[in-house]
Amino acid sequence: MSTVMDLSNALAGAVATAARSVFAVHGRPRLPSTGVLWRPGLVVTASHTVESEREVTLTTPDGQSLAAQVAGRDPGLDIAVLRAEAGAMAVAELAPDADLRVGHLVLALGAGPRASVGIVSALDTRAGRAPSETIAVDLTLYPGFSGGPLVDVLGRVIGIATSGASRHLQWAIRASAVSRLVDHVAQRGRIPRAYLGIGTQPVALPEALRERLGLEQRTAVIVVNVRPDSPAGAGGLIIGDVVLSIADAVIAEPEDIVAALRPERVGQTVTVRIVRGGEPRELRVAVGERPPRG
Amino acid sequence: MSVLHAAETPPHLAPVAERLREVTVEVGSGEGSGAGILWAPDLVVTNAHVARTASLQVRLADGRCLAAALVAADRRADLALLRVPRTRVALASLADSDMVCVGTLVVALGHPLGLRSMLTAGIVHALGPLSAGGRRWIHADLRVAPGNSGGPLADTAGHVVGLNTMIAGGLALAIPINDVRRFVTATLARSP
Repeated sequence: MSTVMDLSNALAGAVATAARSVFAVHGRPRLPSTGVLWRPGLVVTASHTVESEREVTLTTPDGQSLAAQVAGRDPGLDIAVLRAEAGAMAVAELAPDADLRVGHLVLALGAGPRASVGIVSALDTRAGRAPSETIAVDLTLYPGFSGGPLVDVLGRVIGIATSGASRHLQWAIRASAVSRLVDHVAQRGRIPRAYLGIGTQPVALPEALRERLGLEQRTAVIVVNVRPDSPAGAGGLIIGDVVLSIADAVIAEPEDIVAALRPERVGQTVTVRIVRGGEPRELRVAVGERPPRG
Repeated sequence: MSVLHAAETPPHLAPVAERLREVTVEVGSGEGSGAGILWAPDLVVTNAHVARTASLQVRLADGRCLAAALVAADRRADLALLRVPRTRVALASLADSDMVCVGTLVVALGHPLGLRSMLTAGIVHALGPLSAGGRRWIHADLRVAPGNSGGPLADTAGHVVGLNTMIAGGLALAIPINDVRRFVTATLARSP
């Protein structure tokens, strides 16, 4: 029984350790979310919880308010990186990424601190996502936990929790993927946003076409707008093209394009599989960078 | 907690369950029932919303049924103290609820939906009021249902840290046992 008590104390210790690097993030109306001090001066949270036009303030574990600015976002992974003068606050300790296994006990933290416990239920399974970026966890992400750390029993950060669309499956973005985004901000001052310059709508693929082309996907997207002088236009995409995949990632709905266009893609030439006039084609498109707003 | 690696026998919560079962009673008022904690050989503590009538039935874990009289009920605090005929039973061992931390493993024992002596496990989710200025609760991320009210929330050594009282946002809210202790002390000072 002492081992159960040991585990209990370890969990409470993990919460106390990790909570030193956790902020409440006020970047949307009403419900605050959670953020983690990833590097000195750089805070990570969930992108959907910080509205671009709002001023963001942070509350430290000892109750102080800090101003923060959004330095970059990756809406595909739902990660935002904020700049804030966090002074002497402890930077989160990261868990070795390769150690993570299905079945490991993990805690999700919100500001406060608040905590819930569960296990890693799967790795790398989210459709359309590049491998090694997401973790499925079996625990409850309570309101306001988005952007908070997922930690191991030593309080080391494994990932960032995002509430996502499903109430039943809970997800986290792996720490290694988050660190790559934070690196962009640290080195270049921003996270590049990959850009094709097309507007799309979802379409159902006719059964006959799916059979003829040997497609497993039931839906794709149809191009309804191509911006002039855009990477897509230069690559030969035209209105009416049906996009099946980008860089081997299946495009079943418009949101999949955001997921496929990771910051690393900027400057790369990717293969876009389309159907035009009922015939399959492959186009080569050099991914551009979205011009900054304003 | 079968997820643990242990050198020989895997650690488990059975001893805690047995200990809590002995100190948790069922309190019936004719209109539904809840749980209660054996505080002293002749005293039971439960929620005021469980003890709605002046005379109540208390069922011990060994099946004995006792008539109980309401000594005092504080509806605002949602706490009630009952007097039962003095019995030879194990008494609840109390923790210092000021020492409870977020993340601590906890178990609840009660009679959710009328199912007797059910044990559920989880962790302390948060500590503090539901909204600014409110009373302090222990928020626990564990499964409870009507019928857990008045029963113990305990640590994995079986020491009671709180009295399960309500459910909010999927979380179990328990009155810290130090608050319960103060209520009992004040009540007995008034009506020994």
